[in-house]
Amino acid sequence: MPENLQHDVLVVGAGLAGMRAAIAARANGASAAIISKVHPVRSHSNAAQGGINAALLDRGDDWEDHAYDTIKGSDFLGDQDAIEVMCRQAGASLIDMEHMGVTFNRDDEGRLGTRAFGGQRRARTFFVGDFTGQALLHVMFEQLIKSGVRRYEEWFVTSLIMEDGKAAGVTALEIRTGELHLIRAKTVILATGGCGRLFEPSTNALIVTGDGMGLVYGAGGQLMDMEMVQYHPTTLAGSGVLISEAARGEGAYLRDKDGNRFMEKYAPNMMELASRDVVSRAEQTEINAGNGVDGCVYLDCTHLGEALIMEKLIQIREIGIDLAGVDMIREPIPIRPGMHYIMGGIKTDIDGLTNLEGVYAAGECANVSVHGGNRLGANSLLDTIVFGERAGNHAAAAARGRSFGEFNTTAAMLQESRRIQEMLDRPDNGDRWASIRQDMGESMNRNVAVFRNEEGIQETLGDLHELRRRYENVPVHNKGKSFNTDLVFALELGYMLDCADTIAAGALERRESRGAQFRVDYPQRNDEEWLHHIVVTKSDGGPQISELPVTITKWTPEERKY
Amino acid sequence: MDVTIRVKRQDPEATGERRLPHWQEYPVSIADNATVLDALIQIREDDDGTLALRCSCRSAICGSCAMRINGHAALACKTIANTVVQNGVITIEPAGVMPVIKDLVVNFDLFWEKIKQVDPYLKHIGQVPESEYVVSNEAMLHLSGVTACIMCGACVSDCTVLEVDPTFLGPAALAKAYRFTADPRDGDNQGVSTERLWALSEPSGIWDCTRCNECVQVCPKGVAPMDRIMAMREQAIQAGYANNNGARHTDAFTESVGHSGRLDELRLPIKSVGMMNLPALMGYMPVALRALRRGKMPPIAHKNVENVEAVRRLFQKMEPEPAPPQVSTNSPFG
Amino acid sequence: MKYAFFPGCVSQGGAPELYPAARMVCDRLGIELEEIPGWTCTGAGVIQEKNQLFGDTLNARNFAKAERMGLPILTICSTCQGVMSQANHRMRNPEYLAEINSYLAEEGLEYSGNSEPKHLLWILIEDYGLDQLAPHITRQLTELKVAPFYGCYIVRPTEALDIAEHPERQQSLEMLIDALGATIIDFEGKTRCCGFPILTINERNSMAMVGKHTSEVKDLGADAMVTPCPLCHLNLDGFQPKAASQARRSIDLPILHMPQLIGLAMGMSPTELGLKKHIVSTGPLEVKVGGRR
Repeated sequence: MPENLQHDVLVVGAGLAGMRAAIAARANGASAAIISKVHPVRSHSNAAQGGINAALLDRGDDWEDHAYDTIKGSDFLGDQDAIEVMCRQAGASLIDMEHMGVTFNRDDEGRLGTRAFGGQRRARTFFVGDFTGQALLHVMFEQLIKSGVRRYEEWFVTSLIMEDGKAAGVTALEIRTGELHLIRAKTVILATGGCGRLFEPSTNALIVTGDGMGLVYGAGGQLMDMEMVQYHPTTLAGSGVLISEAARGEGAYLRDKDGNRFMEKYAPNMMELASRDVVSRAEQTEINAGNGVDGCVYLDCTHLGEALIMEKLIQIREIGIDLAGVDMIREPIPIRPGMHYIMGGIKTDIDGLTNLEGVYAAGECANVSVHGGNRLGANSLLDTIVFGERAGNHAAAAARGRSFGEFNTTAAMLQESRRIQEMLDRPDNGDRWASIRQDMGESMNRNVAVFRNEEGIQETLGDLHELRRRYENVPVHNKGKSFNTDLVFALELGYMLDCADTIAAGALERRESRGAQFRVDYPQRNDEEWLHHIVVTKSDGGPQISELPVTITKWTPEERKY
Repeated sequence: MDVTIRVKRQDPEATGERRLPHWQEYPVSIADNATVLDALIQIREDDDGTLALRCSCRSAICGSCAMRINGHAALACKTIANTVVQNGVITIEPAGVMPVIKDLVVNFDLFWEKIKQVDPYLKHIGQVPESEYVVSNEAMLHLSGVTACIMCGACVSDCTVLEVDPTFLGPAALAKAYRFTADPRDGDNQGVSTERLWALSEPSGIWDCTRCNECVQVCPKGVAPMDRIMAMREQAIQAGYANNNGARHTDAFTESVGHSGRLDELRLPIKSVGMMNLPALMGYMPVALRALRRGKMPPIAHKNVENVEAVRRLFQKMEPEPAPPQVSTNSPFG
Repeated sequence: MKYAFFPGCVSQGGAPELYPAARMVCDRLGIELEEIPGWTCTGAGVIQEKNQLFGDTLNARNFAKAERMGLPILTICSTCQGVMSQANHRMRNPEYLAEINSYLAEEGLEYSGNSEPKHLLWILIEDYGLDQLAPHITRQLTELKVAPFYGCYIVRPTEALDIAEHPERQQSLEMLIDALGATIIDFEGKTRCCGFPILTINERNSMAMVGKHTSEVKDLGADAMVTPCPLCHLNLDGFQPKAASQARRSIDLPILHMPQLIGLAMGMSPTELGLKKHIVSTGPLEVKVGGRR
């Protein structure tokens, strides 16, 4: 018997943005559900370590200062109307989270404490030790439990169903049973996070595979500024796991193999706390010049003292000990730039609405755009909460005026189950998903990384073309139904290849250097020709490029120095 | 490094022996600093796409990959393989207590149900401040030691009470409860979470822990659930919820030692179950009679230790006056 | 070899057969025991949950007295071992130790923080040497199948018990059983809880634990279970009939205190070792080791 799963608002992804959206939609009276391929507390918002930015008026801070730092950090590619929305809302959203129970560190008076963070002229980063994302995520999950939002946990969305150009629902694989389901929805909010795993290595969790971007791209939606990929300055040698910017916020130094603080050459004022693109380029320059050791430079925390580290940096210390055998209380820890975040994503307005009716996006998978060419540390958590809530509110309101689309659900299900069955029926002898993913990751990391040039990007585009051919025959060795992760990973890889195409296409198109995009062959920022967004849509011939203006309210682009 | 990963597998869809738990060995060659998770991922990617496990972050923050490694619960991503090799083998089993779905994937439904049972969200009685709550950094740091919990289920896997009694709230949910009972923002103006402590003092709550330390030992994040449970026992007694076997046991024990220096084993059970609880006392009769017959009853006349006055003085100085008993008769469980 | 002896309350209370058996075995092995005068209960972890300072001060008081005797501490109770080690671990914090010493000063006592109390089991391995037992062994136990039961406090938490320094402590019972010539029956439950701490709080669960461990071992063919913990013994032996009736099966597994097993191997009689005081009959076991005809 066909089931009848339907909701006014269906949120895909249960990280911070997704849960915030679902709670907001529910609070607006919508029947809301959230669907996630992992349990909500396993989501990648967990990995945000350092904190969340907010300019609190009663601390003498000013949202306009925060906005300016964000705009400058974005290398003037961020839309200033969206940045204004985020920075104005930040204080209220932060206090909301505190009232919900987040255990923020305090100052001596018992008020919320702050730490310094990169690219900002004052300390406005609020934090819980060095596991702020986890602290926020678990509290948001508590609120989700309280809200009564229906949860589909360990369900993997395989397609976004559009009917007459409007959102109509999704098909999803229930991982535990292997059953395929169709969930109808008046509006769909994508909050699936980034696509870090299409780079190898990456700080991102294994689940971060660009699902939402792939779904929207496949349905004809717009992806924007996909070339803007953030390499975090401090990722651990070997495993590539993140070492928080909080370390530098608390005063850690970067040193080359001879112990020199090389940042004085690149950012004499902000030093280690320049914006991430600047610091990563500086490190890579030093490493390329032979001033590193085994492809790394050093993060030195030894002068911070054991007490501070044990209070505020305890998790990254453990990571260093567990994964690199280095205790940062006693020795500098080897680090290097590593792929961390994508500023680009699904193009939305300030309410999370995409160019597809009824389809919304929020969080890392979306591009509102508040991060432009480079995201400031501790602005990502803020982004998820502010725009998650706005998307939830707006989607709930939009759903009120709509009815469930009349469409042939049986046909939609049949089409999707045939596609999956075809994958399962393939012969076992092709390249497995893991080897295709590995080759893609290495190619991206080689040519679409901190320094880029046309030749390299063209090489990767060629690689991607070849990888897609291999993907068409990718076998699924596991033929079972229950917890068939072999199948899920093969499906994810489809989303990843789409995202990789758009990133490489954007990087090739933007013939200038701005934010995270540094073209060795076009080393200058060029506002005259390139102060605009690059939009990518899908066509039979591959990624289709167009452009959109950057919204500038009152901050005129200027030279960027730290 | 060459090592054999010995995995306890089971497949609900299979027929015959593969449906039941069985062992499969995977010889792998891994880097010297590889984690157990690296080895399992290598198996999944290169050798056997049917091996089911959960994992995601690779850095002990998402809580997906708790499993038994050489018999004890641990995060695979936080365990360096070469530290746990025994005669060339690492033995991997699914987490305990929770039912297996497939291979190393277990069903967390009951785990989350128990989290839900402790009302896992801040409940403040009274006016919420306009700006943030003003509380001490120490209080927040203390709580952060508990909110560091990633809900991986390692403690639940190895809990000795859950092994025999699925109704026990268990270490993860109780640590979660403590995160609120110890939060100055939860409960009344003094930060006392009276209702929670009442509910937690009911059967299957804080008093059912055996203090076996398994959860403290296996927790990968230093949350020390058992210590939090013990702290809640004290909070409950302070809040006046002392009229149950557990609280009476602790009181009687402390009093006995505070009075005589040693334990009065004969009177302890009587005080624990309550002087008036005749059915329970009768329950001990056969055991007592058997013991008496064997000549192993504790001495009827309990003797004091030498210089007992010194002990009594210590006791008087350190033992706070208990709070008056709660008079409320409304159980939050209705 | 001479030690400050800390017997613990239960070895003279609920398990009175333990104290004389331990004394006798140590005496025969040439381990001299001088009881700490006026020792008090360690708090058994129970006092600590209500009032840690009081509980830890009681331990500091015992340690200070042993220091005054100039002797290292030997105990025959795992729970005491665990609680002493945990208190000692906390007292590595100099401020905490100073606070505790301020209370002890009234009695004219002071604890340096340097005691290392050890269970007889560890002492036999680390100080005495298992190979030194061999000359004392006069009875063949080869036919005797013995399951080890550590309980909790002598294996967890590992940090307080210095397991990192002494990894062999996690195998100590098996090493001893082997050195005594008996056959080891290994089982997963050997480091689990016996259920004693919740006996009066949730008897059903407590009995379930007793039933689970004893019947598992019984089904593996064990003749007996041996434990270094008198509290485990109280539950596993004293409450075994009740656990068996809850589990609706017969179990009848003799539970030996660790010194009793050593004594048997040294040729002592079951009666003098106090085996008659056990609730579960040790008769079949005695027949098997030739302790009775």
